[in-house]
Amino acid sequence: MAQQQKTLSVQAEAAAGAGSLGALSGAGGDRAREAAMEIGLRVGSIATLILIWWALSLFFPPTLIPRPWDTFAEVAEIVSTGNFFAEMGATLRRVAVGFAIAMVLSVPLGILMGTLRSLESFFEPPVILGLTMPGLIWAVLMIMFFGLNETSAYAAVAVTIFPMLAISIWQGTKSIDKDLIDMSKAFHARPWSKVVDVILPQLVSHILAAVRYGLGLAWKVVVVVEMFGFSNGVGYQVVRGFNVFSMKTVLAWTITFLVVMIVIEFGIIGWLERVVTQWRPRVEAWRR
Amino acid sequence: MDMAYVHVDGAVKFFSREDGAGMLVLDHVSFDTKENGVTCLLGPSGCGKSTLLNAISGLERLEQGRVEVVSDHGRATTLSPQLGYVFQDPRLLNWKRVEDNLIFALKGMEVPQAEWKERIHKYLGMVGLLEFRKQYPLYLSGGMRQRVGLARGLVIEPEVLLMDEPFSKLDQFTARKLREDTLAICARLRQTALLVTHDVEEAAYMGDRIVILSARPAHVAEILDNPLPPLERELDDFGFIEFKKRLLQSVLKLMEEEVRA
Ligand SMILES: Nc1ncnc2c1ncn2[C@@H]1O[C@H](COP(=O)(O)OP(=O)(O)O)[C@@H](O)[C@H]1O
Ligand SMILES: [Mg+2]
Repeated sequence: MAQQQKTLSVQAEAAAGAGSLGALSGAGGDRAREAAMEIGLRVGSIATLILIWWALSLFFPPTLIPRPWDTFAEVAEIVSTGNFFAEMGATLRRVAVGFAIAMVLSVPLGILMGTLRSLESFFEPPVILGLTMPGLIWAVLMIMFFGLNETSAYAAVAVTIFPMLAISIWQGTKSIDKDLIDMSKAFHARPWSKVVDVILPQLVSHILAAVRYGLGLAWKVVVVVEMFGFSNGVGYQVVRGFNVFSMKTVLAWTITFLVVMIVIEFGIIGWLERVVTQWRPRVEAWRR
Repeated sequence: MDMAYVHVDGAVKFFSREDGAGMLVLDHVSFDTKENGVTCLLGPSGCGKSTLLNAISGLERLEQGRVEVVSDHGRATTLSPQLGYVFQDPRLLNWKRVEDNLIFALKGMEVPQAEWKERIHKYLGMVGLLEFRKQYPLYLSGGMRQRVGLARGLVIEPEVLLMDEPFSKLDQFTARKLREDTLAICARLRQTALLVTHDVEEAAYMGDRIVILSARPAHVAEILDNPLPPLERELDDFGFIEFKKRLLQSVLKLMEEEVRA
């Protein structure tokens, strides 16, 4: 009898837990409305930008500020001739390779700096120094060193974002929960499991934030490198538009570039973030 | 469950402080835990209880003395992997589902993968959380998280289960319920367990044996065995209150002596 009562009250507690779960995931209508509202706000913010652009274009000649729809027509042309995919592909590849190199180097370095006092002291000055170095200067240095080829583009992207990535991961590692490390020791976790199951998950939000900033920096520097005399890539196309003083071409390429960036930011990175943080209930401080 | 108990013999532990001076935390602590029962380490906050538990689990090294797990498999002076640990805050991996938190422990202890499923079922069922095995910890209440911590300690089927004030961060109601369940589970499994607490009533309720520790530096002041079997302890029962009183008297006497010294 006493045993039965025990199981019953465990279930009661469990049910209480289930109740709060229901409140979190339930009310599907609310969720849908919220999502619609979120999308509406984003679309609205872009529409507002275009509206301002259109208003400005009324006061200037089209050679200085072309009409939005003329520019969009140019975008459609760029995309439909197939030109776009080759040029954008070249730029994306440069960013991706440079980014991958920086990531592969900065994650281990950041973790080591966060866990070993001596490495922290040794690497802190160069990393901080690297952070203050403008991407433009890296671009110049890399092109002078490697010549006008893909290597210099990869290298320029990698060295520009490396310090920022390393700092984020280093600082993230220092904020790791020591109690969880003790726990993993008490349960005899292997070194690999310690890294993958205990340390890296605590760094995920730091790494994602770093990836966001890093991508922003990478786009900027890759365009600069391409402007220096590459024969393809978005940066090159923008320079070409500049040489014939076609504001429309410059803007059209800029817009396609922005669209791709936004897709990557919100689509891929946003999705990645949702996947790797689904264990965390969302903070909704202003929701009643 | 095989026979098992912990033998602690002359444990001495110093911590070096910021100013360089050494601070004695454990002063020749010796005791045996109850064989296949729950032993409570009762002492004031900061006396060195967690340090002692960490020394037993191998997280801290002793300056002097020995810790042995005595079982059918012999005397293991090495800090063998036969220990489960339940912490004050549950210390779960919040990014892993409940069952994956148990798997983390099973993996570390090198339990064959073929046994995982059955064990997870058994021990999550025991703590009443079977239906939450796919849930993430942050979606569970504090009491339920502590239950996951308990299941993780049990799932490796340790010779000895170490528990460091596992109920002290919970509210009265949840703590009472969890104490009751933990006691019932330990009794059923005939689990050798070492439970650290600063609460006299908890010690009287949970402990088959109670080791009373002095304030820092900790030494053993008294060892008492509980006259009541685990499942016959009721908080409002006369026999239980008598034993609690007996324990309280020892603690008060110890505190008086410490004031005089
Ligand atoms: N790693 C450490 N370094 C220095 N002092 C410590 C360390 N761990 C614990 N102490 C000190 O040792 C004493 C005992 O700590 P602890 O074992 O945690 O006490 P309890 O668990 O009984 O409350 C405390 O005074 C604490 O400040
Ligand atoms: Mg403690």
